[in-house]
Amino acid sequence: MSTDIEQELRWAMERFTGDVRVPPGLAVKAYRHQQKRRVTTRAVAVAGTAAVVAAGGVAIAGVTGAFGSASPSPAQATYTASVVSHVQHALAASRVANLVEADRTVFAAGNSLQPIPTGLIGSAHGSGGRSSWPVSSSLSWSYRGTTKFSALTAAGQRAFDLELSVAHRTLSTTAVLYRDRTWWTSTPGIKLPGGNAGPPSGCVRGQDIVLRRGQGNGWPAFIRSQLACGAYTVMGRQVVGGVDAIKITGASGAFTFWVNPATYLPVQMTLPQQRTEFQWLSPTPANLAHLKVAPPAGFRQVPAPPEQSAR
Amino acid sequence: MEHDPAVTGLESFLARRGEPLLRTAMLLTGSKEAGEDLLQAGLERLLRHWQRIEGDPEGYLRRTLYNLAADGWRQQRAWRRRLRLLQSGTATSVADGTAEVDTRDALIRLLTQLPPRQRAVIVARYWEQLSEAETAEILGCSVGSVKASASRGLRRLRELSGTAPDAENDLDKEKAR
Repeated sequence: MSTDIEQELRWAMERFTGDVRVPPGLAVKAYRHQQKRRVTTRAVAVAGTAAVVAAGGVAIAGVTGAFGSASPSPAQATYTASVVSHVQHALAASRVANLVEADRTVFAAGNSLQPIPTGLIGSAHGSGGRSSWPVSSSLSWSYRGTTKFSALTAAGQRAFDLELSVAHRTLSTTAVLYRDRTWWTSTPGIKLPGGNAGPPSGCVRGQDIVLRRGQGNGWPAFIRSQLACGAYTVMGRQVVGGVDAIKITGASGAFTFWVNPATYLPVQMTLPQQRTEFQWLSPTPANLAHLKVAPPAGFRQVPAPPEQSAR
Repeated sequence: MEHDPAVTGLESFLARRGEPLLRTAMLLTGSKEAGEDLLQAGLERLLRHWQRIEGDPEGYLRRTLYNLAADGWRQQRAWRRRLRLLQSGTATSVADGTAEVDTRDALIRLLTQLPPRQRAVIVARYWEQLSEAETAEILGCSVGSVKASASRGLRRLRELSGTAPDAENDLDKEKAR
């Protein structure tokens, strides 16, 4: 055999691999496993910021890469390159590092949310169980490591407030539940990563895009990196909220931003089932006062709900 | 979920090219079960990076399979499996009149004894019939490294298959590590 081991090897390999069939469902299995991994990644990402998160798409949304999606046209590519260049100038100006982010989100009918120690769990069809609240809109205020999220019912009543704060890389959470007249506080014991906690700078094409409130200075860098790597494409200009904004769409088409051409901060974004409008404000005492959650007198403190993954 | 375009695209791709890829994965890992696991791991990476891939995804997936295997993917579990394969291989020796076939099976078992990178080079060169340059490209190494790995791998296979006592000793040594 050793005189012609190469030929023997080929025969052995033929024999060894004869009659193999790809098991049915392998693609689905790979997809599910990948989704599971993404959920785990999401949970870590949420834990890694003072972020508001929901699987239903409050502040995190899964954007799955679509097979065979079209490439941008040459004109779009040129425009994208131009925008990337301008964002670099905006970054150099660094005028957006110290702003309060205020946003208002409107959800599709049937949305419900549940506050948990690491953020929020969302359900698009109101199936979140008794701990979930039907929420039709929300108001959110963020500045540096603190975010306050107020969920509102269709009647405009406050369903709950949630405050997430990061101090010394440790997350702490306080929720006030108006329906139950209760409140809880929690420190989930998660050590957050150091360094830049802004939106991801890597290309998010085909993966989750993690949107985090309170990361004003991270947005331009995020937009620049996504345009530069082709995950997002500049679609043109559109007036939104009085701003002649640049419209940027993710490759899947599910995710669209309108960004201010002067600052490259988002003016509006749309995801499936929700639309968010942003405002960027000076950190005045009045604006910063919106960030605090204080349990009203008479509300009873209860144990925090168990931590769970964002699904 | 099954209606997700990613899954639909992946199923279509697997229907066309899944079997040769699974064969390669089996050879890289040494068993059908591990080959399926490796292929699934490769498909997950393909899903993550699909939109970055232009044209046919097979090249990307094939490179991924080789690199996962060469990097010692699931090395610990694979190592235990190799030991089991080896033990059963030595127990069922070749005295039943089908020596040629058994020798070829033994070659596969011995192939799994090679270090992951040598095994990957052998599979690329003698199963896929890739040139040294193509093998170097798929594994992200130099042509010289491919030549050295192929040479060492073949020499090792000859040693292990050509002289049974030495092979047993070598295997005992490796098992003892």
